[in-house]
Amino acid sequence: MLEAISPMLTLAAADAGAQEGLRASLLVLVFPLLASIACGLCAVFGVKSKLPAWITVGALAASFVVTLMIWGQAGHNTFIAHGYEWITLAWGDGPGQQLVANLSLYIDSLTLLWMLFVTGLATLIALYASEYMSHDVGPGYCRFFAYFSLFVFSMACLVMGDNLLLLYLGWEGVGLCSYLLIGYFYTKPSAVAAAKKAFIVNRIGDLGLALGIFSVFVTFGTVEFAPLFEMLREGVDGAGAPLAGSWQATWIPVFFMIGAFGKSAQFPLYVWLPDAMEGPTPVSALIHAATMVTAGVYLIARMMPLYLLDGTHFALALVAWGGGITALLAATIGMAQFDIKRIMAYSTVSQLGFMFAGLGVLTSAGAAFHVFTHAFFKATLFLCCGAVMHGFAGQLDLRKLSGVGFMKGWGIVGIAMFIGCLNLAGFPFTAGYFSKDMILAQTFATPGYAMLGWVLLLTAGITAYYTFRVFFRVFVGPKLYEPGDEHHGDDNHSHDHDHAHEDFHPHPPGWAINSVLALLAVLSIAAAATYFINKPDHGWVGSMVHNSTADVTSPHEGTFLGMDPHKAMYYVSAIVGFIGIAIAFMLHYVGRRTSEKANADKLLPAVGPVATWAQGKWYIDELYDAVIRQPLLVLSHVFHIVDKLLVDGLVNLFGRLPTMTARALRPSQNGVLQSYAAGMAAGLVFVLLVVWALL
Amino acid sequence: MIEKLALIQPEIVLFITTCVVMVIGLSRTYSVRKACATVSGVGIAIAGVLAIFTPQTDSALLPGLIPYAKTLVAGVGLLLLLLLSGVIDRDLELRVTRGEAFEPARANRGEFYSFFLFSLTGVMLCATADDLIWLFLALELASLPTYVMVAISTPRLRSQEAAVKYFFLGAFGAATFLYGFALIYGATGTTYLSEIRDIIGTDGLGAIGTAGFALALLGIAFKIAAVPMHFYTPDVYEGAATPVAAYLAFAPKAAGFLAFLLLTSTIGWTWGANGDALPDAIRVILWIMAALTMTIGNVLALLQTSVKRMLAYSSVAHSGYMLVGIVVGPGDGSFWQNGLSAMLFYLLCYGFMNMGAFAVLACVERMTGPDGEPIELETLDDIRGLCHTHPVMGWSMVLSALSLLGLPPLLGFMGKLLLVTAGLSGGEYLLVVVLLLNSAVAAFYYLRIVAGAMFEAPDARAGDGVLTTHRGRMIAAVASAASVVVLLPFVGPLVRASQRAVALQPTTAIVTMSEEVSDASPLVRVDDDVTQDR
Repeated sequence: MLEAISPMLTLAAADAGAQEGLRASLLVLVFPLLASIACGLCAVFGVKSKLPAWITVGALAASFVVTLMIWGQAGHNTFIAHGYEWITLAWGDGPGQQLVANLSLYIDSLTLLWMLFVTGLATLIALYASEYMSHDVGPGYCRFFAYFSLFVFSMACLVMGDNLLLLYLGWEGVGLCSYLLIGYFYTKPSAVAAAKKAFIVNRIGDLGLALGIFSVFVTFGTVEFAPLFEMLREGVDGAGAPLAGSWQATWIPVFFMIGAFGKSAQFPLYVWLPDAMEGPTPVSALIHAATMVTAGVYLIARMMPLYLLDGTHFALALVAWGGGITALLAATIGMAQFDIKRIMAYSTVSQLGFMFAGLGVLTSAGAAFHVFTHAFFKATLFLCCGAVMHGFAGQLDLRKLSGVGFMKGWGIVGIAMFIGCLNLAGFPFTAGYFSKDMILAQTFATPGYAMLGWVLLLTAGITAYYTFRVFFRVFVGPKLYEPGDEHHGDDNHSHDHDHAHEDFHPHPPGWAINSVLALLAVLSIAAAATYFINKPDHGWVGSMVHNSTADVTSPHEGTFLGMDPHKAMYYVSAIVGFIGIAIAFMLHYVGRRTSEKANADKLLPAVGPVATWAQGKWYIDELYDAVIRQPLLVLSHVFHIVDKLLVDGLVNLFGRLPTMTARALRPSQNGVLQSYAAGMAAGLVFVLLVVWALL
Repeated sequence: MIEKLALIQPEIVLFITTCVVMVIGLSRTYSVRKACATVSGVGIAIAGVLAIFTPQTDSALLPGLIPYAKTLVAGVGLLLLLLLSGVIDRDLELRVTRGEAFEPARANRGEFYSFFLFSLTGVMLCATADDLIWLFLALELASLPTYVMVAISTPRLRSQEAAVKYFFLGAFGAATFLYGFALIYGATGTTYLSEIRDIIGTDGLGAIGTAGFALALLGIAFKIAAVPMHFYTPDVYEGAATPVAAYLAFAPKAAGFLAFLLLTSTIGWTWGANGDALPDAIRVILWIMAALTMTIGNVLALLQTSVKRMLAYSSVAHSGYMLVGIVVGPGDGSFWQNGLSAMLFYLLCYGFMNMGAFAVLACVERMTGPDGEPIELETLDDIRGLCHTHPVMGWSMVLSALSLLGLPPLLGFMGKLLLVTAGLSGGEYLLVVVLLLNSAVAAFYYLRIVAGAMFEAPDARAGDGVLTTHRGRMIAAVASAASVVVLLPFVGPLVRASQRAVALQPTTAIVTMSEEVSDASPLVRVDDDVTQDR
């Protein structure tokens, strides 16, 4: 493979726009695809071992290594790695009369940044899943890893494609894999419903993306990134006319934003993500926390020049406020939930909101950095929850678990969870602290967004509270537990006892889960260190973004209460975080050893129905049901009746018509020679009449 | 005159073979008698090869048609010959094996094969015809032997009844088109097609000429079983042995369509507003004929429970489809506009897929005849579950039926696609709609065959359905059915060949007669396009 790359070294030296080369990067796509096919074959041949897991881990690790090598070769240059001709349609020679979409890869720093953490995390999480899914060894196991590899392939298409069509292929591919994996336990009605919900809500976003791609082609006459960015640099459309002030400059970014909001679960399309936790936990960690849901952030970062085209930054304002509202809304819902995986899901929605706010206020570096750090610490948090779920027979209710971190064999889980929580809460000097700060500070630094800054600051406080609510409830305190309902092993004995769970022994995680958790915890900490590489560019991630098309100039005009927001935010956000953690400590740790109820539960009556509403997720699902689903249902019943009576009736009528005609004509075939001859003679007369009439 | 002999070399070979076959069919030695089929096959093969190398000629109206049509006829003829194996003299040979003496006077073998070859010769001669008399004789040579073939194909009374009907109605048709020919002669004073065309080009068609062509086309419609001359089809096909029915569904039709091509080319497609249509009267007649033929054929097929009658009506419907190509005419000559080449190509597709369906029917027999004679299976019940009892035959039937239905990407679809594109570019939208609606109607009965063969449990009686002992029939069935898939990669070359076949003769002959016509004729452009294609 080195030999394959080395000739491209010389190419890399020549610094130009986008250049051909680095074809070895196609291997990043090839390995997961092959692994997916191999796992599918395993299912066909009925493999009943952990073989599919090792195939997947191996292939994904290979992809990661290739990505690392490309990163080493490419530096900060842009490459186009040509695979093969995929779609070439031409209906003329003029501009906009050819549609070219090759299976080629567009490799710049942004691509590499995404691919590094996608392939890296995917490898680790596949390793984790090899143990986590072990109770399903057999066809289900093969199926899981086939989808898992296919997801990584699709994600690679999405991130690395050199045109919007390949991006769309990947976009739909990850959506499909998400659907398949959420519905992995397909005998469970709630999982099936969640899968359908995720798919349908995503379709709404996909419509936006499709409209965006269509408009790009109509406007620029190409869907390939290289010529597209060339034109965007000039600010002209495909015919060379300036675009500033046109409808395209305003609305194409909005279309892409709708797509991004669907995939990244932003208000109002966020409702699918919490339900998506019905899938196996590794899936939640990889797809629904670390990678796929950041595809929206990637899309907007990738198309950033398009967003900057419009001087009024209309679309960016929508992105910023969409993100801000989502962040606050999801955080308030997260406060009141009891299912720890769901809390993590809402925190993901909330953190994604932060990222979009960051994009909106023109710190793509901050957004990308938050994506990067979030990927590690949120994966850690999910996998810890998964380990608990795995060990306690599916128990996820924080009221029924306590002191898990101090149980025998659960130490690594406890520590990893603690590190993850510190990151999410934005505890000083953790990775999450630095990345969140960049976004928070920029909201105050960009004029006109101070209000959004206060919203996000409040959200940061709430985040710290609900994060440590989970930690103080589940991982520390008195050791108590109630197993979940997936516990069937000791059924014969448990009938004799009043408390079924007395016979239940939580089984602590094995080496695969523990080592992955330890590694991820370390990486979550290490992610903070990247902030100090290339400090003027806001860290290593910042320098990666800076050298890609996502680069923007962040304004430095606004202040935070008269101070430089970038300096002040170090202290302010730390204080906010402390306050959140302190409240959680007071309400959910203090007094739990002496009292049946936590302090928070005693406070509940004081806040009245608000807590119930938050627990009911502000009834957004019910609202959608009443406003959108029910009317559609009524309409579909109406159409069903119309279809039955009118359309079917017409179709049946036309269906009967030939038979009726046949019955009418049948007597003419009576087998009598004379009548046949008479028929022919009649035809003869008719022909002569026609001739006479038309002459 | 002598150079015309070079054009009819294949026919001469077939004629010589005919004479040989007629003699050896009477031999008292079984193996010599048996050789009739082999000799015929060799003759047809030689004729086919000679047809490919037909020299170029200026005297024919459609010079390209000669090699194309003759090769096609020879190719399908070989398959038909395989299919015909074992049809004739079945009980006679049975009695001979029991020890009775062979009576040449009662044997039909020689006649049967020689009539078969005569008929093929007639079809080939149709392609070569450059004269009305010749065309009439060729058409009758193609048809007359088939009357006899129907009569002697089975010893049953039903066959003889069918032959009588076929003969009388055929005479009616022949009289009609002969009267038409006479009127054409009366209008133009010549029987040569190219001369007639030139005279029409300068003087116009006239009332008598129009009536003559209308009657000629109507009479020839009998050969292609188009409405209103279609009445005989189901009765005759049902009465004849299945292999003979398969023959009737191809050979006379091919002759009829070749005659249609020649006659319409004689009129020329220069009469419409854009100089690309037949004269109104002729066009309207053909249009109505096409629409009615498709519709009546398909609609009547719906009610049939006998697969044989169903296929008879379906062959009527397919004639209607092909007539669409004639109505449209050559367009600008490009393959998606050329209705004539689409029609020729469809004739080829139809030849293979239709024979596949008939051949499967001919292959499966039931040994429960009253006199121990095997009976052909012909009802829908008989082919139920065929894919399970006789997989090869079943799947051959399924493929053929699906291709007849026009299911993509089978050969039938390709043929229909070209007819549709030609119809659309020729502006015949209504006719195309009728064609497509008819395809939908036809799907009903074809899918009944398919579903019956594939999904239904075999009929209780089908247990005694056995495969015929005649290997030739099975080869014919499998080869025809396979060709709807095998020929797919060659659709391009075949379509180009069809295009060349319908290109009019080089312009030199016309220029000498009338320059205006040659300049105005779109057919001249056709020739140019084809040359470029090559």
